[in-house]
Amino acid sequence: MVPVARRNLFVEKGRFAISVLGVAFAVLLILIVVALYRGWSRTGAVFEQLPGQLWVVQQGTSDPFHSASLLTPEQLQRTADVPGVETVVPVLQRQMTFTVNGGEEQARLMALKIPLSFPLEPELRRQFLPSAGQVVIDTTFSRQSGLDKGDSVQINGVDLTVADVRSPGGDVFSEFAFVSFADAERIFGVGDVVTYGMVVLAPGSDTAAAKAAIEQSTGQKVYTAEEFAHAVRKMIDQTFIPIILILVAIGFVVGAAVVGLTIYTATIERSRDFGVMKAVGASPGFLYRIVLSQAAMLTGAGFVVGLIASLVTADIAARAVPKFATDFQIADLAAVLAASVIMGVVASFLPVRRIVRIDPAMVFRA
Amino acid sequence: MTEILRATGLTKVFGSGATEVRAVDDVALTISAGEMVLIMGPSGSGKTTLLTILGGLLRPTSGSVIMDGVDITRLSESELAPVRRQKVGFVFQTFNLWESLSVVENVELVLNMAGKHGRAAKDRARQLLEERGLSRQLRSRTRDLSGGEKQRVSIARALANEPRVLLADEPTANLDSKHGRDVMELLHSISRTGDRAVIVVSHDQRIREIADRVLWLEDGKLKEIGQMVRDPVCGHAVALDAAVQLAYEGHTYYFCSRGCRSEFEAAPAQFIQAAAERVRAEAVPAS
Repeated sequence: MVPVARRNLFVEKGRFAISVLGVAFAVLLILIVVALYRGWSRTGAVFEQLPGQLWVVQQGTSDPFHSASLLTPEQLQRTADVPGVETVVPVLQRQMTFTVNGGEEQARLMALKIPLSFPLEPELRRQFLPSAGQVVIDTTFSRQSGLDKGDSVQINGVDLTVADVRSPGGDVFSEFAFVSFADAERIFGVGDVVTYGMVVLAPGSDTAAAKAAIEQSTGQKVYTAEEFAHAVRKMIDQTFIPIILILVAIGFVVGAAVVGLTIYTATIERSRDFGVMKAVGASPGFLYRIVLSQAAMLTGAGFVVGLIASLVTADIAARAVPKFATDFQIADLAAVLAASVIMGVVASFLPVRRIVRIDPAMVFRA
Repeated sequence: MTEILRATGLTKVFGSGATEVRAVDDVALTISAGEMVLIMGPSGSGKTTLLTILGGLLRPTSGSVIMDGVDITRLSESELAPVRRQKVGFVFQTFNLWESLSVVENVELVLNMAGKHGRAAKDRARQLLEERGLSRQLRSRTRDLSGGEKQRVSIARALANEPRVLLADEPTANLDSKHGRDVMELLHSISRTGDRAVIVVSHDQRIREIADRVLWLEDGKLKEIGQMVRDPVCGHAVALDAAVQLAYEGHTYYFCSRGCRSEFEAAPAQFIQAAAERVRAEAVPAS
């Protein structure tokens, strides 16, 4: 099969390159915005990574970031007495100021009082349960503060050493840093009250039933891990999704306009060629396939270039702005690829209409 | 001889009322296999319009064109496409090659349109071009070819799907005398091989020498003609009985219009000399 579409596009290599860059820019815009949203949507993921299925918080606490919570040892004990509850882990958590090399940085300090006998994966223990005098930070906070493994940091007069830098949390509001429970008690100075109770259920227990039972027994609010994480993501969704949708729509329109203009121009310039094809017997379907192939090549090349540019841009941006947390998910890439295909089909509409109107008898005019 | 094409009562009217033009007026025409038919006539006489109707590119106002037993004037646009693809081959004055494609791809593409792909299409395209002396230009861009080479590619393309009728519109108009003669001979041999006919629309008097029939179209009406004469001013062939005459220094000169006669009268020596040079040039045998 003669590659007419490719030949037509490559006749003007400069225009083809510019058009590919135009589509790539649209893909870049869409992918970066979506990846940024996904990255920020990891906010609160720490509550899903930890082993507790339920989180007991003070009644009226709306989310982990914007609402204070205080629980007494008695409330934790009542929680532990609920059938189906295996362990209740006291948790301390608060936004704190870190003194780093004379400067100040903000992070959310968290500590869990997990018994040594509790079966926890070594990787989770390394990330969330540092020894006394140590702090584990994430890569975002590391980039932001300049802190690295082995560095010293002071929090509320307590000196700590960075024991590890874990993979990015993606928490857009504040990064989590973990210390030992004993250090947290010294830093916070709140006596025997804690922020939350993390509940680990016995195998086979009904989560919903346990949640209801704890709420009834303690009079406090209980979230599942997903609900607790979602409580903070909800704010991101409400704030960013409308903006993201507008930016994605702009990207789609820009991409469709670039593909449409390129294919339309290429079609007009080649009107006589298409007229000759009609004259010598090309079926309408044959001609439409050429136009659609041109659009597919343009969007395909634009998608590949846009994808590579997005990955490179995200990496560079994250180095310059640590909170630029992106997460490229396969499903999103597939969706953007599908959107690119739709973009190409939509953009082919006008050129195809133009071809339909070409009078094949025009080829006899000199 | 097998009848390939029959046109009956063919009429094409453009415009209406005061601006109405009858480009083709009640034309009747029968073409048989093995024939090379030349249609001549002054500019604007409706030759190209007639050709486009015969080729299924333009619908007549009335009348019919029966090609291989099918009235193509009754077919829809989607039904006409396969007719143009399989039954008709077009050769254009301006070649109309696809410049973004190579020489061989120009021929291969029409084979693709007819559902022939891959090696079979490539081999057929290559064979058609090689038979026309273009074996060294297969990969060339068409813009790099001479006019004669372009027209040979155009003819190879027109023959790709083995049409019953080859329609050529002024095939020698953009060629020098040598290449024009090559193309004429090529068209003549095509009419003699295969079960097909060649219809040529042209002003070129030389084609008359090899055509089986010469038809004269003027004001949309067609008639068979006898002797043709050459207008010494514009060089166009004119039917003797339709020509404007002028006697000058013992000779009779024939013109396609009064305008050409007036130009001649203003500078007769110049046109007589030019006409003589033209005759000498055409007498040079093909190499």
